[in-house]
Amino acid sequence: MFLTRYFSEIAEAVGSLLKGMRMTGYYFTHHKEIITQQYPDNRATLVLPERFRGEVVMTHTDNNEHRCTGCTACELACPNGTIKVVTKFEVNAEGKKKKAVDKFVYHLELCTMCNLCIEACPTDAIRMAQTFEHSVYDRSQLTRILNKPDSKLQEGVE
Amino acid sequence: MQHMWNFAQLTDLIHGWLYETFPPAWALAFEMIIVGIAVIGLFAGLGLVLVLMERKVSAFMQIRLGPNRVGPKGLMQSLADTLKLLVKEGMTPDGVDRFLFNLAPFIAMIAAMLLMAPIAFAKDFQIWDLNIGVLYVTAISSLNVIAILMAGWSSNNKYSLLGAMRSGAQIVSYELSAGLSILTVVVLTGSLQISDIVTAQSNGWWIFKGHIPVLIAFVIYMIAVTAETNRAPFDMAEAESELTGGFHTEYSGMKFALFFLAEYINVFIVCAIGATLFLGGWMPLHIGEWTAFNGIMDWIPSSVWFFGKTFFLIFLMMWFRWTFPRLRIDQLLNLEWRYLLPIGMVNILLVTVIAILKWHF
Amino acid sequence: MKGETIVFYLLAALTLVSAAMAVGTRRIFRSAVYLLSSLIGIAGLYFWMRFEFAAAVQIVVYAGGIAVLIIFSVFLTQRAGDDMPTPPMLRTIAAAGAALLGMGLVMLQLVAHPFPTPAVAEVDRSVSAIGRRMLATGDDGFALPFEVVSLLLLAAMIGCIVIAMRAKPNQP
Repeated sequence: MFLTRYFSEIAEAVGSLLKGMRMTGYYFTHHKEIITQQYPDNRATLVLPERFRGEVVMTHTDNNEHRCTGCTACELACPNGTIKVVTKFEVNAEGKKKKAVDKFVYHLELCTMCNLCIEACPTDAIRMAQTFEHSVYDRSQLTRILNKPDSKLQEGVE
Repeated sequence: MQHMWNFAQLTDLIHGWLYETFPPAWALAFEMIIVGIAVIGLFAGLGLVLVLMERKVSAFMQIRLGPNRVGPKGLMQSLADTLKLLVKEGMTPDGVDRFLFNLAPFIAMIAAMLLMAPIAFAKDFQIWDLNIGVLYVTAISSLNVIAILMAGWSSNNKYSLLGAMRSGAQIVSYELSAGLSILTVVVLTGSLQISDIVTAQSNGWWIFKGHIPVLIAFVIYMIAVTAETNRAPFDMAEAESELTGGFHTEYSGMKFALFFLAEYINVFIVCAIGATLFLGGWMPLHIGEWTAFNGIMDWIPSSVWFFGKTFFLIFLMMWFRWTFPRLRIDQLLNLEWRYLLPIGMVNILLVTVIAILKWHF
Repeated sequence: MKGETIVFYLLAALTLVSAAMAVGTRRIFRSAVYLLSSLIGIAGLYFWMRFEFAAAVQIVVYAGGIAVLIIFSVFLTQRAGDDMPTPPMLRTIAAAGAALLGMGLVMLQLVAHPFPTPAVAEVDRSVSAIGRRMLATGDDGFALPFEVVSLLLLAAMIGCIVIAMRAKPNQP
């Protein structure tokens, strides 16, 4: 019947509105759940979410060894040309020529933190770091070489 | 039981002194000036407080912190904003109707100021207790729409014009529901005078005395005035995401500030009227003949009661604003013409029956 | 001069000047706004006479209703933002003549009417008294005109609905 539908519609509407108001009312009275980070003030105690991505870094062991073989899989995976891997040929102990990474050039100013390079890396040489204070006065400072000088390929990584 | 703070003595004192010292015409002129300055001061104070309150309430409802940098706990934020708006350039864009463009914010402000006259802020503390108080408020508040239409037209901007048209349609249709819900209390009291309406609630507020019909009227009143003051969820006149700023798109600096201030003053006024009609105005919480209880309640000053109730209703409107999404224009008109208006009409019939048969307490 | 008289002349000047500007201006929207301020001036005169009910009704009906209606129709007019063309000289003269004729008729009536001095005994201005007289059927009651006017409004409303109603497409 028309009238019953009319009034049940009103009751439903009022119910749903009250539900929404209960939610905002709950937030209003529970100040502990506030998610605002007062950033420069709480810099020392800042806790970033686990999946936050700040920049691409290359992991180095204490012996200045990295896991990058120079396979350029990351360079191919990158959608906007952020990574440029410059390779060289090294002669190993057995006298064989082997491809190795010379310079791992990373353009932070182009990076969109899409994580595709990390997923493409077969040897887990690079990862996402959580540092995010990247502002500099000169754009050229954002072009970085990720492998440290004189670093070597870690033993056993092919 | 005597009231601790009685403003009536203060006003009588000033009134008496003025009329003893000066001829009547001059005394009246001085009183007008005093009242004018007091109203402007109240406007400035209310503007600062309400803007800060809105920002804080919205922040907490969205799990944010809100302004907390300027002054202790961010209390000076709206003062700083006012200063910024004051020193900004008052632009008048090319191609606008200069006269009407500059006039519109003042019309909005004047309408808001006129509305202050019949409001009873405390016991015996009222600018003008005219015998048609409630009707006066509904009449003057219809001038607001003129200011909005004027601003929208003279801006020579299609967004402004659209916003003004929407706002006009909205205000004209929701005025009916607001009027009907105001009438329920007028029917119960049998008077349009604000002081009579407040006195009639000395043994309990109408929202408690009038059974469910008055409660329904109160709900309709709150919905209708939220729409009349162009606040979310009925803020289609501004609708930032569709119309950039609606009727005040082209305004900047102090002219914009006047519109902004007038909006908040209107919120205060409709809440004050709602508090007066349904929640007893400055009348403390009295329950029937419980003299002991009523006596205790009388110890709280009447101005505290009035501002407490008004700010409770303002908080309610802010709660609406930060909870509900904006309505579409057809939904808005549906709500008014298919739900609020028929219910309001039936409701006023019910209230009339109650008033005639004296079923209310 | 007393303060009251000054206020009266101010209100009268507002009413007359804005009425003259309403017919004199070239822009149609401005004309509507001047008309509005003229109507508000009349409401001010009612307030000045301490006839608050009539003043409030004047504002509700004319400022809040009619003026908004006029403004809305201006909004919906084509090329409402342009200046209106100057009317031909003949039409200006004819309009002025008609206005003067109407004013003359009203003035004749006003001069001929014997206004009692001092004004008639104080009328009961309270809203309840107005309401009672509106629905009274006695000698000084207004029940019949009140009902006739409501009948007229009802007819207007039904007419609006008939015009606005769209015929269903499948019906002949």
